[in-house]
Amino acid sequence: MSAPPAAAGSAAAIAEPADATTLLPPRPGRLSRLLRMARQQPLGAMGALVLLVMAVFAVGAPYLAPFDPAEGDPTALYVPPNAKYWLGTDAFGRDTLSRLIWGARVSLMVGLGASLLGVVIGAAIGIVTGYHGGWADTVAQRVMDALLAFPMLLLALAMAAVLGPSLQNVIIALAMPIIPRAARIARSSVLVLKATPFIEAARATGCSDARILLRHVLPNTFAPLLVIATAYLGLAIVQEAALDYLGAGIQEPQASWGLMMSGAATALALTAPWIVIFPGIAICLTVLASNLLGDAIRDLLDPKLRRDYP
Amino acid sequence: MFGYVVQRLLSGLATLFLVALMVFVIMRVLPGDAAVMMTGAGAGAISDAELAEVRARLGLDQPLPVQFVAWSAEIARLNLGTSLYTGNPVIEDVAQRFPFTLQIVVMAMLIAVFLGIPAGVLSARFAGSWFDQILRALSIGGLAAPSFWVGLLLILGLVYFFQWSAPLFWEPFWVSPLQSLSQLIWPAIAVGLRQLALIARMTRSIMLEVLGEDYIRTARAKGLAEGAVVIRHGLRNALMPVVTLIGFEFSALFGGLIVTEAVFNVPGLGQYVVNAILNRDYPAAQGIVLILAGIVVIGNLTVDLLYGWLDPRTRVRTAKA
Amino acid sequence: MAKSSRPTAFAVNRREALMLGGAALAATASAGRMARAQTPKRGGTLRVSNGGDPPDYDVLQTATYLTQFVGAPCYSTLMRVDPADYSRLQPDLAERWEVSADGKTVTFHLRDGVVFHNGSPLTSADVVYSLERIRNPPRGIVSPRRGLLGNVDGIEAPGPRTVVVRLKAPQPDFLFMVSNPFNVIYSKAVAEPLDAQGTGMKRQIMGTGPFRLGRAVNGQIYEFERFDRYYGGPAHLDKIQMFPIRGEIERGAALQGRRIDASFFFANESVLQNLRQVQGMTALRRPTPTFINLIPQVEKKPFDDVRVREALSLALDRDAFIKTVGPLAGAFFHSMGLLPPGSPHSLSAEEIKQFGGYDTLPGLGGNLEANRRRARELLRAAGVPEGFKVSLLARGDIPAFRDSSINIAAQLKNIGLDATVDVRDAGAFYTLETTGQFELVAHSVAIAGSLPDQILGEGYTSFGGRNYGKWRDDSLDTLYRQQSSELDPAKRGQLIKQFQLAFLKTYYQINLAWVGYGAAHSNTMKGWTALPDLYANMNLHQVWLDA
Repeated sequence: MSAPPAAAGSAAAIAEPADATTLLPPRPGRLSRLLRMARQQPLGAMGALVLLVMAVFAVGAPYLAPFDPAEGDPTALYVPPNAKYWLGTDAFGRDTLSRLIWGARVSLMVGLGASLLGVVIGAAIGIVTGYHGGWADTVAQRVMDALLAFPMLLLALAMAAVLGPSLQNVIIALAMPIIPRAARIARSSVLVLKATPFIEAARATGCSDARILLRHVLPNTFAPLLVIATAYLGLAIVQEAALDYLGAGIQEPQASWGLMMSGAATALALTAPWIVIFPGIAICLTVLASNLLGDAIRDLLDPKLRRDYP
Repeated sequence: MFGYVVQRLLSGLATLFLVALMVFVIMRVLPGDAAVMMTGAGAGAISDAELAEVRARLGLDQPLPVQFVAWSAEIARLNLGTSLYTGNPVIEDVAQRFPFTLQIVVMAMLIAVFLGIPAGVLSARFAGSWFDQILRALSIGGLAAPSFWVGLLLILGLVYFFQWSAPLFWEPFWVSPLQSLSQLIWPAIAVGLRQLALIARMTRSIMLEVLGEDYIRTARAKGLAEGAVVIRHGLRNALMPVVTLIGFEFSALFGGLIVTEAVFNVPGLGQYVVNAILNRDYPAAQGIVLILAGIVVIGNLTVDLLYGWLDPRTRVRTAKA
Repeated sequence: MAKSSRPTAFAVNRREALMLGGAALAATASAGRMARAQTPKRGGTLRVSNGGDPPDYDVLQTATYLTQFVGAPCYSTLMRVDPADYSRLQPDLAERWEVSADGKTVTFHLRDGVVFHNGSPLTSADVVYSLERIRNPPRGIVSPRRGLLGNVDGIEAPGPRTVVVRLKAPQPDFLFMVSNPFNVIYSKAVAEPLDAQGTGMKRQIMGTGPFRLGRAVNGQIYEFERFDRYYGGPAHLDKIQMFPIRGEIERGAALQGRRIDASFFFANESVLQNLRQVQGMTALRRPTPTFINLIPQVEKKPFDDVRVREALSLALDRDAFIKTVGPLAGAFFHSMGLLPPGSPHSLSAEEIKQFGGYDTLPGLGGNLEANRRRARELLRAAGVPEGFKVSLLARGDIPAFRDSSINIAAQLKNIGLDATVDVRDAGAFYTLETTGQFELVAHSVAIAGSLPDQILGEGYTSFGGRNYGKWRDDSLDTLYRQQSSELDPAKRGQLIKQFQLAFLKTYYQINLAWVGYGAAHSNTMKGWTALPDLYANMNLHQVWLDA
């Protein structure tokens, strides 16, 4: 997802903040409510379902994967899909299905990790500097602008090279480009909120700044942040694959979808297409699902956000 | 207005300065040694003294702040320096590579606009129908597929089914338009899918909003043809945010072609900057990042100014945000 | 798995080349080769791709084959390997050469009427300047292969067409060392002022070869036009176009789509396999002097302990490595000892089997389980605990490098080492490797030439360019020098064997496999012979298109 087109637009859209928290608490008849929501948002429900399946794979990988993802069978190299290896094996004789299942863990961790980290840090910067204003705000804004102007994948690539290879470093590298985008959105929400009588009233009753930020500002920026978090979840997964393609991402023998379809694997696309096709489909499905779910959440939380987070 | 423009220009310059500082620091923090990369990357017997001499000749033995000041001074005089790897002035390498990147960006945006806007409009017009659902799923699919994967499948599909691969010599569009199109249409498709998805989604959202407005209902009530209502009254009013999005995406796309250019072997800026980073070609890497960031800054500035000019109500708010 | 079929008369031929003059020999060799059914056709443009862009054109300063490939059609060397017989030299710029009885003075007689592309005639001063530039480069110029001429004591030019090289000690392999395909001859008048500026010949090509560099656009194309005043007669081709295409799969697609006629570097076997099925295409793989070694950094604990290094060797199943990594990196071949497959100096099965783990080479029937038990014992004796962490440095953007490391790491797990692969980008990888900041590294090392001095000198001496493991062993270096200067072939053979046995015992480097280069070309390309060493036959003078 890109940054919202213009900060001005978002300011207008959140002029009447929806209280997101009131939508969420569980009520009696939860199941029927869920079903109704699923009927309203069939695509969103499908997205949620796919993500759920992926999450089950990710959590249950050690139990669900039929084979060890790193241990190859030297007598079964490049085996096409068959009864034993449902999705075939790769150049090292490793089971594609098992690697896909373990790869779900990496991809979801990268996606969730990077988007949460980026959004949390970005939101914290945006909210605090936006609320306080002054020179800190000006400096933070310029730094965020600079990060925004820095080509996203290059930033991640450079960060990955600086930090060295590991799952957590890939997460940090991919969170970097998300920070300024989240900060921008959070800040513009705060600017609008600051001017509303509701915050002024809180201030008049003697609330501390910290309390205002935590109790009043944060919940009201929650909806747009949740929406962009789901969008960046998908983007982070795609970007992780791109980093793998450039040789700077997740490292073998760990299984990751991006890794499964880059490097020497690409050369096999004609002779052993299953090695490259299935991880690509897995990425497409997951990213598609996270975007569909994001859309649904957006529509349920606050349809007005549509204009800024299409 | 004038004061506003000056203020925006100054903040743009400040942004670029910070980008320069960031890219300088990142390049120097990267493990690796430009001198090693320049002298054959360890495949031969190069003594430490020789390496030190190379470093001294490039000024890499100076303290980092001194190096940064020296480099910024050159940048301020619009001199990007000489590539350590190709030995050409960076600006020449850029000039030679820029047209290809530009052409992919333009073609990708054209594909995205001419398919994305109609898709978005139709989707909004038939909102909630199966047609809408499928179109939406497809357009998000564009966001979901890694462009290098799509690119790889394109290359292999063409050669497998048609025994065809793209011509290898890259002429700029104005020299041989047909050949250029036949080479660059594929990377443009691979990245255009993503832009298409963004634009289709934006168009759909805005159209939904606009189609619910009173004046649309009035127009319908007056008995205007549905097509005229949607296009003349709906789309025209929905277009501004879409155009804004296109503007931002256009300038951001220049830096987003790294992987796609590598897959299609396009001699563009993206490949150049990746190679520069891998080879620790400091002047080239720093220069290109600065140029890419400059394009984004100028793009955003232009869009904001146009926006403010078209819709004076936003001017103050944009300035504030 | 084809084995190299180099004639066993290898050593004899080489000695003949050294003792007699070269001209007569070369004449007989090329007579057979020229007797072809078809007469070459003139004209046409050959389109090739070998990988990415060369960083620059200075063949003497470079370390990458990409530069050598661009230089090969444009430059000449003193002698070159006979395409019909890899063990012989044929004249290039030197039409005759003599070696003194004590083996310490070599006289080259240069061909008459050789001109550079700018029209100026070649003289002995150009040869002296180029050889000195390799041996002892001017300030600001580097020379990665100076070791090739490490035995040279002095170079003189008594006449305009005579060059005399004095050696410190006799060196039977010297003629091959000086004829290394990278050792091209520059024009002194052109190179000297540029060298003084520190830029060298990086930006231009001025040689005496059959083609001269025309249009060159970084990232796009390198064009070569026929040089009609080439001393060997004009080439058949009008033009050569080289396209920098990095990815193997993209190069395969370009071949299949008939956008190029030939491509000479395919590591991955699947791509070649696919091309083999294309009509009118020839795809081949030949063993080449490129080996894949696991190299421990011996300054780092516990790799300073030879028991630990031996344990590493014992852990490795070389047969399995060739089966899995082979198709990915082109590493299909194996050799007994340090010299390339089929070398007359290869060790016997009994000799190689005494070194830990080498009995797992294909066909030697080693007991892997016993090896690994022994490896664990050695590790225990050396005080290395179970689950000890080791890391293999690997380069991320070359799949063949990465895949070798993945396989090795997986194998090392079998002896209780917790091995991980530390993948870095090119810039970090080379810096860490050359400065010894790693524990283990494994990748292919390509050497231009198969002779003992070439392979052992560059790859297996403390002072050679490829001593990444930072070991220092004077007795080995002395042994190397002894074999290098031994004129009696039988005695030299003994010394070479002794060197290999002594080196293998140290486990400073652990050999896994040998690489074969993959090449594919359209059948319309004629007149190109695939030599075991790809560098040696790239001037494309005799290549023609049957279109």
